[in-house]
Amino acid sequence: MSNVHERLRRLLFLVPYVSKHPGVTVEALAKALNISREDLLEELDLLTCVGRPPFNPDDYIDIYVDNDRVYVDLDQRLFAPPRLTPGEAAALAASAELLRPAAGDALQSALQKLERILPPSTRERYREMYRKIDASAEAPQALAPLTRAIIERLEVTFAYATPGRAPESRRVRPYELLSHRGQWYLQGFDHMRQDARLFRLDRMEDIAVTDTAFLPPPDARADVPNPARSRTEISVRVRFSPVAAPYVKERFGRDARPLADGGVEVLVAGDSERWLTQWVLSFGGEAQVMEPASARAAVARAARASVG
Amino acid sequence: MERTERILDLVALLLDAREPISWAELREHFPSDYGGSDDAAERKFERDKAELVELGFPLTYVQGDDERRDGYIVDRDAYYLPEADLTKEELAVLYAAGSAALASGAFPGRDDLAHALRKIGFFAGESLPTPRVRMELGAVQEGEEKEVSARLEQLWDACASRKWVELTYASPKQPTTTQRKVDPYGLALRRGVWTLVGHCHLRGGLRTFHVHRVRELKVNTARPRTPDFQVPEDFTLDAHVAYFPWQHRFHEPMEVTLRLSGALASRAGSLLPGAMLEPAEEGVVRARMRVSFLDGLVRFCLALGPDCRVEGPESAQARLKDMATRILARHEDPQETVSA
Repeated sequence: MSNVHERLRRLLFLVPYVSKHPGVTVEALAKALNISREDLLEELDLLTCVGRPPFNPDDYIDIYVDNDRVYVDLDQRLFAPPRLTPGEAAALAASAELLRPAAGDALQSALQKLERILPPSTRERYREMYRKIDASAEAPQALAPLTRAIIERLEVTFAYATPGRAPESRRVRPYELLSHRGQWYLQGFDHMRQDARLFRLDRMEDIAVTDTAFLPPPDARADVPNPARSRTEISVRVRFSPVAAPYVKERFGRDARPLADGGVEVLVAGDSERWLTQWVLSFGGEAQVMEPASARAAVARAARASVG
Repeated sequence: MERTERILDLVALLLDAREPISWAELREHFPSDYGGSDDAAERKFERDKAELVELGFPLTYVQGDDERRDGYIVDRDAYYLPEADLTKEELAVLYAAGSAALASGAFPGRDDLAHALRKIGFFAGESLPTPRVRMELGAVQEGEEKEVSARLEQLWDACASRKWVELTYASPKQPTTTQRKVDPYGLALRRGVWTLVGHCHLRGGLRTFHVHRVRELKVNTARPRTPDFQVPEDFTLDAHVAYFPWQHRFHEPMEVTLRLSGALASRAGSLLPGAMLEPAEEGVVRARMRVSFLDGLVRFCLALGPDCRVEGPESAQARLKDMATRILARHEDPQETVSA
C-alpha cells in the first residue's frame, strides 16, 4: 500500500480520536497511532491546512497542541472514523482464528457483529478476502481461562504433568501466552519454584482462575524455547545428513555448523533424555548423536524398543 | 497542493455537501490541482476517486433530474463507523487475537489489522484490554523477521487485488533457487509457518510455498485495479496445507492403523486429530487415519516411542522397522552390541 493511503487512513482516524478524547497527551496519541512524536507533530501540522472550499477561516480543521495536549475545535465533520474496509475486517477476522476454538462463543458473536457494521456493498468482498487467510492454530481450550486470567491479573492453579512424573499442583501468576512452532506455552511466576517458568498448555489439567490479584512486572517477556541456546551442564552433539540439513538450518540458523559432506552439526541441551531421544528419532535416521556416549545409548535403547 | 491534503479536502467538502457536486464545480474549487488539460485533470481525479473508494468512502455519481443536479455525493450514514456494541468479552477476544497476530512480527494484512483494532477500540474509551498473547513464527531467523513481514504484506495485497507474483524460491529439496510465476490464492498459517497457496505457472497446477523460503518477490504492477485471475469457486486453503506431517500430499492417500497404549491411550485424540478412534483391549486405543505422507507419520510414531505401534498395513510396519533399524545402526556402539 502507498504511503499516501496509510497516511490518509491514519489522519481520518486521528481527527475523530482527538474529538472524542479532547486534551489527549501528545505521547498517548502517538502511541494510539503507533507513530513517533515527531511524525505525529508533522501530521498535526498538515491537518491545520486541511479544509473545504472556499477555504474561509472557519472551513479549516482547527486542531492544535496546548501544553503538550491535543485539542480539536473544528473537526469539519470528521467526528467518527470511517467504517472498516473489507481488508481491515478480513485481517481482524483472520487473526481471530488464532484463538479459535478457545475463544468460543464470544469470538463467533464478535465476528457476527463486525460483519453487521460493514456497509452491505462491501460484505461480499470481505468474505472473499477472509477466505484468503487461514490462521487457524488448533488453539487449546486452556487458552480461554488463561487469557482471562492474564487480562484480569488473577492467579491460576492447575495440575502440571511432567513426563515420567505424577502431576503436581501449581499456583502461578500468569504473565504471557506464547505460541511457538504449533505449541502453546504460559509464562508466569511459579510460587512453588519462586521463579518465572514456562509451562506447556497441553500438560496442564484442571485449570482454575483464583480471586488472588497480582501486579505483573512491566517487562515480562518469555524467551522462545531453543535447545541450541539453553545453558545446561551437558551438551549433546548431533549431526544431520545433507538431506535433513536445509530444514535444520532453517530451525537453528547460525547455530547449525556446516560440515564438509553437506550436513550440519548442532549442540543442544542435554538435560532431558526424553526430549532428546524423541527429537532424534523424529528425523527417522537422518540425525546421529555423536557424543556423549550416554546420549547415544539412550537413542539406541529407544530405537531398539521400536524395532520390537 | 500535496495529494494527501487534496484528498482530505475532498473528504471535508463531500461530507459537508448537501447537494451533488459536479465535476465542473470540483475543478473550480481546486483550480491548481484539477486545472490544465481536461484529460490530465480527469485522470488525476480518477486516481483520487479510486483512493477514496479504497478508504471506504461511499462516493457515488448521481444523474440529475428535475429536483436534483448531476454530481458526486457521499452517503454519510455509510461513511461513519457505527458502534458495534461489542461486549467486554468480545472486545477482549478480538484484542487478544489481533495483538497476538501483530506481536508475531509477521501477519498478512498487518496494517489493515492495526487500523481495524484501532477502529473497534474507538468506542471503548480508556478501558481497552491489553492482553499479553504472543505468537512466534517458526523457521524465521533473527534479523529476517522484517523481510518475511514485508513479503507477507506484498502477498496479502496481491491476494486481495488478484495480481500475479514472480518469486525466487529456495526449496530445501533443490540445490538451487527457481523462478516461479504464481497466481496467489491465499495464505495459511500452520505451526508458526506461513504458506502461500496458488497456481504455479511453471508446474501448471496448485502449489504451496513457505513464505520464509521466498528470496525475492515482485507483484505485477500493470493495471493494478484489474484482477489477473479468478480463484476457483471450490478452492479452500485448508485442503492444500497440512497441519501434521502425515497430511502432506506426497503420495496417494492410504489408511494406516495405529495402536496406542500406556500414557498415549488417553491422549490419542489430541495427538492424532481427525483419526477414527476405537477402544481395543483394556488401556489400548486403536486409531485409523488417512495418510498421504507415510514417512511423516512413521517419524511421528518413532518419536512417540514403543507405546505407539503400527498395526497395518504391512508396508507401513516395514517402513517403521527400516527407519528404527537405521537409527539403531547409527547409535549402537560396538562394545554395547557385544555386551548385549
